[in-house]
Amino acid sequence: MAEMWISMGPQHPMTHGLWTLKVKVDGETIVDADPELGYLHRSVEKMGERRKYFMNTTLTDRLCYASSTTWTHCYVNAVEELMKVEVPTRAQYIRTIMLEMQRLASHLMWAGAYMPDLGHITGALYFWRDRELFLNLLELPSGSRLLYNYIRIGGVKRDLPDGFEEKTERIFKLFEQRLDEYADLFENSKIFRMRTEDVGKFTGSQAMNLGITGPNLRGCGVKHDLRKEDTYEIYEEIDWDVCTREAGPGYSDCFSRYMVRIDEMRESVKIIRECFKKMPKGPTLASRVPVRATGEAFRRTEDSRGEALMYLVGDGSDRPYRWKIKSPMFTTISACPYYLKGYKVADIPAIMGSIDICIGETDK
Amino acid sequence: MNFKDLQKQLKAMKGVTEISLIRKNVIKLDLDKLISKELFTKLKEEYYFEHCSLITAIDNQPDFELVYHLSCLSGELSVGDTKMAAMVEVHIHLERDSPSIDTVSDLWFGANWHEREAFDLMGIYFIGHPDLRRVLLPEGFAGHPLRKDYVYEIHEEEW
Amino acid sequence: MTLFGFCKTMAELTADMFIVPILRFQRNIFPPFSYPAGDLADWFSSEGGIVTLAWIYAVNIAFAVGMTNLILVIHLERKIAARIQDRRGPMLSFRAFRELGEDLAGKAPTWRFKENYSGIGIIQNMADGIKAITKELIIPNKADKFLFSMGPIIFISSSVFLLVLFPLSDRFAASAAPAGLMVIMAAFSIAPIGVLTSGWASNNKYSMIGGMRSAAQLMSYEIPLLLSMAGVFLLAGSYNPVDIVEQQREATWLFGLPMWNFIPQFIGFIVFMICILAEVERVPFDLPEAEAELVEGWTTEYSGIRYMLFLAAEYIRGFAGAAVATILFLGGWAGPWPVPPEIWFLIKVYLIIIFWIFIRWSVPRIRTDQILELGWKKLLPLSLINILIVIFMVEIYPYFADIISLPEVF
Repeated sequence: MAEMWISMGPQHPMTHGLWTLKVKVDGETIVDADPELGYLHRSVEKMGERRKYFMNTTLTDRLCYASSTTWTHCYVNAVEELMKVEVPTRAQYIRTIMLEMQRLASHLMWAGAYMPDLGHITGALYFWRDRELFLNLLELPSGSRLLYNYIRIGGVKRDLPDGFEEKTERIFKLFEQRLDEYADLFENSKIFRMRTEDVGKFTGSQAMNLGITGPNLRGCGVKHDLRKEDTYEIYEEIDWDVCTREAGPGYSDCFSRYMVRIDEMRESVKIIRECFKKMPKGPTLASRVPVRATGEAFRRTEDSRGEALMYLVGDGSDRPYRWKIKSPMFTTISACPYYLKGYKVADIPAIMGSIDICIGETDK
Repeated sequence: MNFKDLQKQLKAMKGVTEISLIRKNVIKLDLDKLISKELFTKLKEEYYFEHCSLITAIDNQPDFELVYHLSCLSGELSVGDTKMAAMVEVHIHLERDSPSIDTVSDLWFGANWHEREAFDLMGIYFIGHPDLRRVLLPEGFAGHPLRKDYVYEIHEEEW
Repeated sequence: MTLFGFCKTMAELTADMFIVPILRFQRNIFPPFSYPAGDLADWFSSEGGIVTLAWIYAVNIAFAVGMTNLILVIHLERKIAARIQDRRGPMLSFRAFRELGEDLAGKAPTWRFKENYSGIGIIQNMADGIKAITKELIIPNKADKFLFSMGPIIFISSSVFLLVLFPLSDRFAASAAPAGLMVIMAAFSIAPIGVLTSGWASNNKYSMIGGMRSAAQLMSYEIPLLLSMAGVFLLAGSYNPVDIVEQQREATWLFGLPMWNFIPQFIGFIVFMICILAEVERVPFDLPEAEAELVEGWTTEYSGIRYMLFLAAEYIRGFAGAAVATILFLGGWAGPWPVPPEIWFLIKVYLIIIFWIFIRWSVPRIRTDQILELGWKKLLPLSLINILIVIFMVEIYPYFADIISLPEVF
């Protein structure tokens, strides 16, 4: 068969999100790839220029609907740096707890969406059943399950409810047991390993040039986590480790990227437990938040998928003059010829699933 | 290599007009357009900035401004005694009619799509870019929406 | 009292009471049809006509039994899959018709959730079938219209044909072919033609790729399948399922427990189970119809009843595959007295099917090239080794005469 272009078009059960992946195929082997985005472009940046600073938190929630608190937090941190607002300590602890719980929910959503790509439909239901536990927990302080609008400029909207810590601890006991079960079911499964090992390889240095960050980069063995290296909130007072895995000296494959996220889930549980122990009492919102701002500021945070960066320019009015959003998936998707070449068409779901794509943040 | 040495060396280069420090680990520079490619090559090869985080295009009404954020991920640059990752923020000003600048996508592949987006939404042309076309907006779209003087009208092309 | 005997009596009865009088009556009334009617009436009273009628009845009864089993298999799969996934599966009960009745009578239905939706759920399958029938049959514009309709016909008819070929016991047999199992395997092998035709005629790159993958997988797993069956044929001495079960029933006993064929032929059993899973395209071998990669694979463009019949045909092939495995390796219908042999057969078939359901919902898919590698590089040599073992056993038979007693083979 000659080489032909197959378009895994915008409507496809495998591509998580709405984008087109065109692959050039020679028989069964991939020769080239050409991704196309833009189906979900909502012009968030231009809309943000028309709205006041505090109104934009509802827009940032909807940037990545699977992991919305981390995006709101990135924006709010950038605004606080622009306006030079001091956030009280208790609010910082609560924010850290929310972020880590959101990271857990996002990784569970990713795992639940990854399993059917490999053919394991039961895996989807198991992971999403656990995600339900965390969505219920996240509903208690903020009032909503998916798009929270909980982190505000200067702190958080309201304090944690009573009994939150006991509920969380109960759910963590169940969750850790289940993580051990899943380790037995997925990692020790020969077929799972056959599908994910030696597939979708790229080296750490290649990844840094291509603009790949986050768990994909940590799967190559590079110890880079923005929570330690460009620290924010209260991460430097908590004792936790950066999880890295590698499939070989300096490169990653789908299995190591999967394992990095499972390790991160366990680390998040540790971080939340420690935050609960160390949380002081105090106010949860800064007492005086200015309305106008001048200057420039940027903030980068460790989103569930990589490095999220927001750059704000203020011109003295109460609306941003320029707001730029950087999503980690933008560059990762652009680099897809590099990690798709040479593999088979049947590997595309395994590889693209292990990259963890969310198109909402990519298309803005 | 120490961060302070880097700051001194960058200050000494010609074409760098203003240099300051944000938040302990970010150097901010203003740069002349003509030596941009040379500086970027130097930043990548000698000073270990292997990751291009972001390229922003801003429309200050009389001119355009490009902001490059580059970061060092491997830990070769150390900021004092901390483990913080070093970053550089480069501002370049471009003229209003037909703004253009040399591309950096041959240095960092991650900059490829950022430059395409700057072209798509703001209209800045990158000389030497392998594939400069619209990335977020559909192909038949006319105009560059993120400019301040963009007026939304009902377009009549079919796409 | 065999099935055929029962049907022959029924045929004689119905022929005497209904068919022959009607035909003779017609001979007296309609002159253009009177002579053929008279000849037909004579033929039906003769031995040949009765035997043909008996065969038609027998095939229909076997078909009905097979279809009932199909519904049970589908229902079992849905319920067990649901329980593995921490949910309950279809729960519709017959009392839900009350809601339908109230709706038709014009009254607002009262909300009786717990009563209506807490049953066994077996009429859910009927509801799904009715839904599929009412959907529009779409043929894509540029597809080859004749082949588009032919593909399903080939696939489905060859699969349904399988239902009447295997006996449920030595007296419940709708087919008396002396080479019974060979006919079954031949009917299994017609399916790739239907798959390729459907995939190609859909005018869709994905379907074509799916069809080719499926055909490659099916054809490459035929060989280890047949070779692993060859061991049993050598031991039993014939292709007839009745003879094979007889050989297992009388021959192999180890410490008082039946040791049907899956212990002496252990390698053959394993190879056969893997190959038959690949033949009926169940997970872990169901890449050709995998949803993640190629939407639905070679069945993408089919809608409505054609699609439902594809799925039904796959389940029928699964059932037939399990039945063949039971006959060959698990002793067929052999079992102690109180339970009739048909029920033993069905129990063993359902055990195998439940085992397959557990595998399907616990294990991810294998990629096509890994499937083909498994088939050609690993299963084919194993099946050849199995044949060597059987020949070895047969040749040095006298030394094993006290444990295994084999019929006269060579």
